[in-house]
Amino acid sequence: MITTTSKGSLLTRIEGLNQIPTIPAVLAPLLRYLEQPMEQLDVQKVTDMIAQDKSLAAQCLQMANSPLFGRWQKVDSLRAAIIGLGFQRVSDIAMSCGVLNLTPKTGAGFDPVVFWEHSLGCALVCRYFARTISYPNPAKAYLAGLLHDLGIIVNLWTLPKEFGAAYELARREGIPLHEAEQQVLGFTHCDAGRLLAERWELAPDIREVVSLHHSSGQSHDHAGLVALVELSDLLCRMSGLNYGYAERRQVNLLEQSGFAILAQQYPALQDFDWARLTFELDSYMDEVHNLVRTIYRK
Amino acid sequence: MTAASMHSAMALDGPPDPELVRIRDLVYQVAGIFHPDTKLRLLMDRCLRRMQELNTPSLRQYFECLTIKPNRQAELVALLNEITIGETCFFRNEPQLDALLQVVLPKVIEAKAKLPIRRLRIWSAGCSTGEEPYTLNMLLLEETQRRLKDWTIEILATDLNERSLAHAKNAVYGSYSTRNLSAYYRQKYFSAAGDQLQVQAQVRSNVAFSRLNLSDNSRMTFMKSLDVVFCCNVLIYFDLVSKRRVIQHFYNNLLPHGYLFLGHSESLYGVTDEFRLVHLPGATAYVKGERSPAGKQAP
Repeated sequence: MITTTSKGSLLTRIEGLNQIPTIPAVLAPLLRYLEQPMEQLDVQKVTDMIAQDKSLAAQCLQMANSPLFGRWQKVDSLRAAIIGLGFQRVSDIAMSCGVLNLTPKTGAGFDPVVFWEHSLGCALVCRYFARTISYPNPAKAYLAGLLHDLGIIVNLWTLPKEFGAAYELARREGIPLHEAEQQVLGFTHCDAGRLLAERWELAPDIREVVSLHHSSGQSHDHAGLVALVELSDLLCRMSGLNYGYAERRQVNLLEQSGFAILAQQYPALQDFDWARLTFELDSYMDEVHNLVRTIYRK
Repeated sequence: MTAASMHSAMALDGPPDPELVRIRDLVYQVAGIFHPDTKLRLLMDRCLRRMQELNTPSLRQYFECLTIKPNRQAELVALLNEITIGETCFFRNEPQLDALLQVVLPKVIEAKAKLPIRRLRIWSAGCSTGEEPYTLNMLLLEETQRRLKDWTIEILATDLNERSLAHAKNAVYGSYSTRNLSAYYRQKYFSAAGDQLQVQAQVRSNVAFSRLNLSDNSRMTFMKSLDVVFCCNVLIYFDLVSKRRVIQHFYNNLLPHGYLFLGHSESLYGVTDEFRLVHLPGATAYVKGERSPAGKQAP
């Protein structure tokens, strides 16, 4: 059992550790590249970047063949994938594979596959939700959804035993993971994620999402994006894309601080059909499960 | 294109047929039952059955049968019948039942903790042949030695159809109805009746079946003091005005902490301002409440 005095120091311990994963070689240039205006992006350059990593390229192809990415005819080369899917989709896919390869294969009693499923599912829901409410940058929403839980990777690498205890508590009590982390570790994956996002020099909006997606009311500069991820994350968690367990509670999305923030900016939310969005998620569940298991179990 | 060739075309992975999406959206708008993309093939099968019956060669023409042809109302009902056919079975919607036990039951028990009479009252509105109320009763009987010790459990089960009710009271079921039944429940609460299964007396005893038309305003006002209402795949057949009236009755009949459960992928969007949608693990439900000041539930 972790004592109260040791709790506060765990975060300091993480800060000093070198085990925090480094940003994958392919990912860093891709992330930076994505920040440029769309018209300046060069498809061939992206192909070259991804092709440097053979296993990443193979995973990209597998994902590119999934209906989740809007592809219905088989593509068998990276080039064909890029031509067929378009630059943005391929970037999304490469990003997904690049980030999700970061999870340790085992440890902490936490199956990394469920982390992957949640992150990919959340990315897809963020993008879909963004389009539905006319959020101006659905690709950014996808990226934010994909990366929002980076802090869990940090916890898995640096404090596997302590994080394992938090995860076990969350499962046993059916409470949100960040609440269990707060009880056991004295901090959450939002705090741990902030450290990694800073070290990786991620864009300020993504950093804010990583740090504040469970407390959107505290966000300043990018509240809309943070709130969008907060609600999408919550929907995923209540709809079977949690971290391998069910939260035993009742959630009214209209009472979330994220809803109040988004409703101010996006009038479409006033009469939003949450039930339909929830039913639409059913389409993602099986696909995400199958896709992630096919790729990850290899 | 013939119905058969269309069916084989659908067997290939492909983007959803825009005509099918229009039918999906129509069914959702009119009946409140939604088919996500992964269930579109199922909807396609249901449409094909109707199209064969009507000898209608294309989805486009079938969409017209549902929207502009004189008998469109009857056709919509016929399609809804196809959509809900075979839906009735024991333990039909497990995430919903899990949510009932894990989240709703503790909240109801907490809300009634200080009352002198410990009574749980659940209404299966549109119970068809009885699988739903018996399932609920079995689940709650399991709790009578634990969380529901010393509680009285009342399950009210109503339907419009006399034949369905007779079947429900007889409580004998074939393999299709019992396909989701675990060995545990099968052994504990059922007896063999030839090659079928009969629900045992202890499960039948506190389920009260009666005939009720949900449009019968005077009878509806008598369904009082309810903790939970289940109304699955019934409201889909009602027009908006009737739906609103029935929902208002449910609202009045439920206790302040009460819950309304609908069928899988069934929604009250645009029907009510008074019920609020809540998310439970793997399921949605409606609770009574004021509108949230930040927004509203429905137009």
